[in-house]
Amino acid sequence: MGVAGKTTPQALLGEFPFTSTMSTDFFERQATAHRHTGRLVWLFCLAVIGIVAASWLVAFLAINYVEASNAAHERPNPPGLAMAPLYVAIASALLILLGTLYKIVELRGGGSVIAEQVGGRLLHHNTSKAAERRLLNVVEEMALASGVPVPPVYLLEGEESINAFAAGYSPSDAVIGVTRGTVEKLSRDQLQGVIAHEFSHILNGDMRLNIKLIGVLNGILLLGLIGAILFRTAALSGSGSSKKNGGAGLVLLLVALGVFILGYLGTFMGSLIKAAVSRQREFLADSSAVQFTRNPAGLADALKNIGAKLRGSLVKHPHAAEASHMFFAQGIQVGFTSLLATHPPLEQRIRAIDPGWDGKFPTTATSPATATATPVAATVAAAVPAAMGLVGEQQATAPAQPVADVAGGPGQVGNPTPDHHLYAAQLIRSLPDQLTAAAHEAYGARAVIYSLLLDKDPKIRERQLQTLDQHAAPDVVKLTHQLIPVVDALDVHTRLPLVDMTLPALRSMSTAQYRTFVSCFQELVAADEQLELFEWILHHILLRHLKPQFERVRPPQVVYYGLQRLGEPCSVLFSSLAHVGHTKDQAAIAFAAAKGVLDDVPLQLLDSSDCDLPQLQSALDQLAQVAIKQKERLINAAAACIAADQEVSVREAELLRAISDTLDCHMPPLLPGESIAPVAAAGSAQPVKTS
Amino acid sequence: MSAILITLLVIGGIILFLIILFINTYNRLVTLRNRFQNGFSQIEVQLKRRYDLIPNLIETAKGYMAHERETLEAVIQARNQAAGGLQTASANPGNPQAMQALSGAEQLLTGALGKFFALSEAYPDLKANQNMMQLSEEITTTENKVAFARQAYNDAVTSYNTYRQTFPPIAIAGMVGHGQNAELLDFDSEKIAEAPKVSFT
Repeated sequence: MGVAGKTTPQALLGEFPFTSTMSTDFFERQATAHRHTGRLVWLFCLAVIGIVAASWLVAFLAINYVEASNAAHERPNPPGLAMAPLYVAIASALLILLGTLYKIVELRGGGSVIAEQVGGRLLHHNTSKAAERRLLNVVEEMALASGVPVPPVYLLEGEESINAFAAGYSPSDAVIGVTRGTVEKLSRDQLQGVIAHEFSHILNGDMRLNIKLIGVLNGILLLGLIGAILFRTAALSGSGSSKKNGGAGLVLLLVALGVFILGYLGTFMGSLIKAAVSRQREFLADSSAVQFTRNPAGLADALKNIGAKLRGSLVKHPHAAEASHMFFAQGIQVGFTSLLATHPPLEQRIRAIDPGWDGKFPTTATSPATATATPVAATVAAAVPAAMGLVGEQQATAPAQPVADVAGGPGQVGNPTPDHHLYAAQLIRSLPDQLTAAAHEAYGARAVIYSLLLDKDPKIRERQLQTLDQHAAPDVVKLTHQLIPVVDALDVHTRLPLVDMTLPALRSMSTAQYRTFVSCFQELVAADEQLELFEWILHHILLRHLKPQFERVRPPQVVYYGLQRLGEPCSVLFSSLAHVGHTKDQAAIAFAAAKGVLDDVPLQLLDSSDCDLPQLQSALDQLAQVAIKQKERLINAAAACIAADQEVSVREAELLRAISDTLDCHMPPLLPGESIAPVAAAGSAQPVKTS
Repeated sequence: MSAILITLLVIGGIILFLIILFINTYNRLVTLRNRFQNGFSQIEVQLKRRYDLIPNLIETAKGYMAHERETLEAVIQARNQAAGGLQTASANPGNPQAMQALSGAEQLLTGALGKFFALSEAYPDLKANQNMMQLSEEITTTENKVAFARQAYNDAVTSYNTYRQTFPPIAIAGMVGHGQNAELLDFDSEKIAEAPKVSFT
């Protein structure tokens, strides 16, 4: 019957090839992806060893031939001939290593490096073109709905085709690139489908895998290139025919030829592997996107538009081939279409989403090219009736209605749904215009952050404002004072999304401005020695997401596979959590709940005076380096701790989301009336209503 | 081991190293240039806003300052010239002629606006006008945003110039289209420091 009529995620996934065994559990998917990546890396290592061994063999055979030829003509062998195979093998290995390392180092600059290499231009919210603003709004809504910082958006100006990509090591340095054709030719629904697909790539960690693939393939390609160069040099200098040095030139020629063939063969095989992996990830991203929007029509229509002869998805830029597997649809023409294609055939993808499709592509322009600023409510509400047509069962509920069959919190990490999207769109609309305008520019975003960090206690606030006067420019201070009443009136559930919204603007500062800004807001935090945990975590999150733009930050590494050695950082974290808004007795109960989840970790409840903020900082830094399965346990324990007193305030729920963010697991906003339940609840923990 | 082979390998290694160095340096030059070009587009947005506000300002003031036609026209002329300079500059950010032209035009505009505001002090009715107050507030805010964006642009240009002038980039910069320093944008000049003369004839 197809996707229409299926509402559970598992059922949706079942329609897609290869993904029927994929879990709907984010943590499960991540763990599987890590395993697959590990296996892939091993595969490539074996391939490299194979190539090096083959180059040794080639050299060996060449030498045998030359020796035989020399013996036949009674010529002496050139000195050192016997050692040649070894040197060739070593040289090959070194070349591949060099090529791989170089590429990985180059790509360390993060997603924006890749975006600029394919000709992308950074978009800003104060752009004059309505179509670009619409794109930025869609990206912002989906980012907030997923609980991810809003990524910068790059526009590929010269590309008329319909295509998009996501790049970067982690959600902190992720960027989204979109072609001009996509912006102008797709309707809002279709655009949402495409962007949801890209967000799925970000959430599933496909980008990290992609970057590693590019790196390793580059090493093998380098070998082929060097072989080609050597071969051409040797052939041109005519050393093959020279008998003077006993055929050393001939050896060089043969070896160069062998290496050249090996290199290109290796690249070909590597491309096959890269393409196969990429196709699988594309299906997964399609299915996740459908889960996200629950509007299969949007994504299907976008794909059909690509299929229509008029548009297509081919990207012209010369560097597109390198990043081809990152694009939304097939970006470059390939000869062996099915094997080397980085994306599954369009028809297959469309049928997976829309089985009732008649196989015909639209021949005329079916989407509104005029993108007038449609109010979000209208378009988002329009998306639901469209889904109603296909799905047929869901009612267009107002976001305030509780979501009965889905538990919030840890179970939702990495799995945003249309309800989250509606919620995010409404949240953005509910913010005062002055605030959103400020948040979208680097100039005003600073003032927004300063006002978010101010304490409620008037004495501490006074001190903070004095510090601000000393360290910041007068016009920013003035703007901060203007924004204070606006920010004070905000509900606590808007604070974390507001930080996420300011991130793209803050990233466009210069390095000097960034340093001034950071020192300023750290002074603000320091002026308040009793800073609330939630405000402190907001500042921690901001720093974590800003740093990769301005400083060299190593991509996240997994160091700990178990939590046994991390008793101290865990104790600090959960003690801090337990003490938030609790009396001493309540704190003990809350801590015991966390301990119940992490029964194999040596936890000890610390006094609130013993967990200071620098300790918490180092604890969070350490815990960010644990394996994904342990992160799941940590988040469950945090949820249990917060829910222990049977009453979860919105503030506590946001605190849970913030902690989840520091672990690189992005939890969508908790919907009103939703309950918090740990992942794979053992049945002992009671789901609790958020108040 | 043949001396020829060893030499060949060593030379090959050096060439490889140089090629990689070349590619890295080129990429970094491109990245830094992109950064200041992005920075310029931010300035452009704010300047455009400023140029859009000025005609409204002058219209509002015309009703009250009918006799100050010279000053008012000077502002409009300076504004048009600056808008033209901006269009040229946005086609080629960092180009010395374009940047200097824009800086000059902006300085003239700031001077003209300064004279205008000084003059408007003598018209309390104008100062009390709601529209006027709102517009001058917005212009001040926009000028602050221009200053901030300009700071970011200048920082990015300085990074690019400094990198370009160091070794090894300086060796290849000329060959690959990065032969010129990018120009900073300087909107405050000593020339404006002289007090505007106000005549009440």
